[in-house]
Amino acid sequence: MNFDLSSEQQLLQDSVQRFVKDNYSLEARIAITDVEPGFNKAHWKTIAELGWLGLPFAEADGGFGGGPIETMLLMEAFGKGLVVEPYLASVVLGGGAMRRGAPKALKDAILPGVIDGTRQLAFGYAEEQARFDLEDVVTSARADGAEFVLNGTKSVVQNAASADHIVVSARTSGGQADRDGISLFLIDAKADGVERDNYPTVDGLRASEVKLTNVRVGRDRLLGEVGKGFAILQAVANDAILALSAEAVGAMEILYKDTVEYTQQRQQFGHALAEFQVLQHRMVEMFMEYEQCKSLLFRATLESAQGTTTAQRTIHALKHLIGKAGIFIAENAVQLHGGMGMTEELRIGHYFKRMLVIDAQFGNADHHLQQFAA
Amino acid sequence: MDIELSADDLAFRTDVRAFFSSNAYKPGTDYMAWRSEWFAKAAAKGGWDVPKWPKAFGGPGWSPTQHYIWEQETATATLPFDMPFGVGMLAPILMGYGSKEQQERFMPDIRARKVNWCQGYSEPGAGSDLASLKTKAELSADGKTYTVNGTKIWTTAAHMADWIFCLTRTADTGKRQEGITFLLFPMKQPGIEVKPIITLGGSHTVNMVHITDVKVPVENRIGEEGQGWTYAKGLLQHERTGLAGISRSLVALEKLKEQAGSVKRGNGSLMDDPAFRAKVAALEVDLMALEFTELRSLAAASAGGALGPESSIMKLKGTEIQQRIAKLTVEAGGIYAAGWGHPVGPKFARNGMAGYLSSRAYTIYGGASEVQKDVIAKNVLGIKSGRK
Repeated sequence: MNFDLSSEQQLLQDSVQRFVKDNYSLEARIAITDVEPGFNKAHWKTIAELGWLGLPFAEADGGFGGGPIETMLLMEAFGKGLVVEPYLASVVLGGGAMRRGAPKALKDAILPGVIDGTRQLAFGYAEEQARFDLEDVVTSARADGAEFVLNGTKSVVQNAASADHIVVSARTSGGQADRDGISLFLIDAKADGVERDNYPTVDGLRASEVKLTNVRVGRDRLLGEVGKGFAILQAVANDAILALSAEAVGAMEILYKDTVEYTQQRQQFGHALAEFQVLQHRMVEMFMEYEQCKSLLFRATLESAQGTTTAQRTIHALKHLIGKAGIFIAENAVQLHGGMGMTEELRIGHYFKRMLVIDAQFGNADHHLQQFAA
Repeated sequence: MDIELSADDLAFRTDVRAFFSSNAYKPGTDYMAWRSEWFAKAAAKGGWDVPKWPKAFGGPGWSPTQHYIWEQETATATLPFDMPFGVGMLAPILMGYGSKEQQERFMPDIRARKVNWCQGYSEPGAGSDLASLKTKAELSADGKTYTVNGTKIWTTAAHMADWIFCLTRTADTGKRQEGITFLLFPMKQPGIEVKPIITLGGSHTVNMVHITDVKVPVENRIGEEGQGWTYAKGLLQHERTGLAGISRSLVALEKLKEQAGSVKRGNGSLMDDPAFRAKVAALEVDLMALEFTELRSLAAASAGGALGPESSIMKLKGTEIQQRIAKLTVEAGGIYAAGWGHPVGPKFARNGMAGYLSSRAYTIYGGASEVQKDVIAKNVLGIKSGRK
């Protein structure tokens, strides 16, 4: 048993933390999110040059062969600065589906660009009627000779506006909520019949409703086997949960530490707020929830890295706790900052909003508790 | 004990319902014209435009039960928008502590909703600890004019206000509460600068107000110099019971059920989801209890005048319930609650997020929940303050 980082991992963590510290003051972040495309192209280039875009890809695919631990270190540091560059969408989600399912020729055509930052990906998995069920897919893919014809709408697709390609789930057979019969395709974002309705999300990121009308895609763009896409979908969702949870843990650390600092400065009734026992205890609870989340994050990440049979269940547990504790910590950070916590001027509120979106992504706290208990 | 409504109360309810339905706003018509007309007609009913004012000042003089019925009915009717600052907050202070001249000068325009007021209480360094406020008012040697300097914060609707009622400091010696003076002055004048504060819901309702060398004639002082805290304190208590928002929560809860019912899950809806359903049910239980806490409090007030100890929990419980409803609305929206630029997914999702973010202020303003609990511990439970 050992929770120490290897020297390479330590280097990675140090360099991501330095990037965040140098580039992600609240003002700098707002300057990025206020204008399109909602991320900083120079930062994206830096991230590519530092090799982080190739982190989870196999060396054979031009990557660095990193695993869940490396992604965790990176995302936790990103969470401390609320980094908005589309790492999750392009590398973890789109890239995750590609590296698991794409045939060699397709990997060779697409992944080098993803890794050097010249191409971006997005991942369209959600549909309005599905709520949080990955297997609930009505977008259809009908085989037509050497091609498939796709029809349907993928919802809240992060980074679709900037993406060159979008991985989408579509049904090639079976009923609406069957795990069998789901196939994954890589479509060009500008292909005929692809219509993107772009909008910002409350956390300052970007998403789109992606409408597919008779979009034709070749069989060479199929990820995995026909009708067997669910396993890839679920593996990518698990990666996403681990990554989002790491981001959330980074954000929680800022929320509770900022609160501890603020309450020691703010004077009311002739005392620093932090002298009031009721507030001390609240902050201790915030701290305890943060530590518990970090523990479960380590547990789920290590189990995933080792591929244990309990990993899936632990991931459900993790996403439940992250959603519940994250919002508890964020709500109390706002409460203890008083009126100032309600403004856009302090970073607290921005972390709060991100925490709310993280809870809703890939299933909220209730959803995963039910999955865990099932 | 009896919870049946009397024949008179039932008749009153019928009357209220008839008034609301015959004066409902017709979409597409001039809203402001309708609003003026609505208040005029309500006034003609005998003070229905100012339900909480006492009869002596033109109010209807209702019984607690009638107030309760009115509240219940307003929850489902569409009333014209109305800011609380004039009719609900300043007017009671004018009635209690203002001179006859001040009452005659200010109350008719307050009642007619002709003058918009804002409340200048909180300051950057004085939030929950309001008595530490520093905005200075200095009286001229001839005793005729105050010169006011300072900064107020979280001033709701200051950017739309014509006048402000403002707590100022006139003395630094003695108890902090004793050097506070209650002044009224116009907002549209040199020396007053209003800066918007954008809150998490993305909206502009509160402001920072900088006051520089603003001259206020002594006739605009309510009551005596140095007694402003006493006047404001009574109002704060009043404001806090009003913040429970029970009727609003009852409506919001029904709406939540309807919204969650529209989110499909399998063959049913989100309302069939056991976890979600249980949370809605728990809210309903708390709200049922709080409705009767309010009734007990009203009944005690009508019997003896003073509010009972149960009234102290109204703001705490009421705001917590409002926040829980807002939170469940966000949960019902699922991933669509994240949409911000324009609505996506179910129609309620976007407003749900904005509403939830705003709701986080409910346990901060009007006395933060932590301070409310201190007050209850001291005043209701009789615990002497000791360690912090």
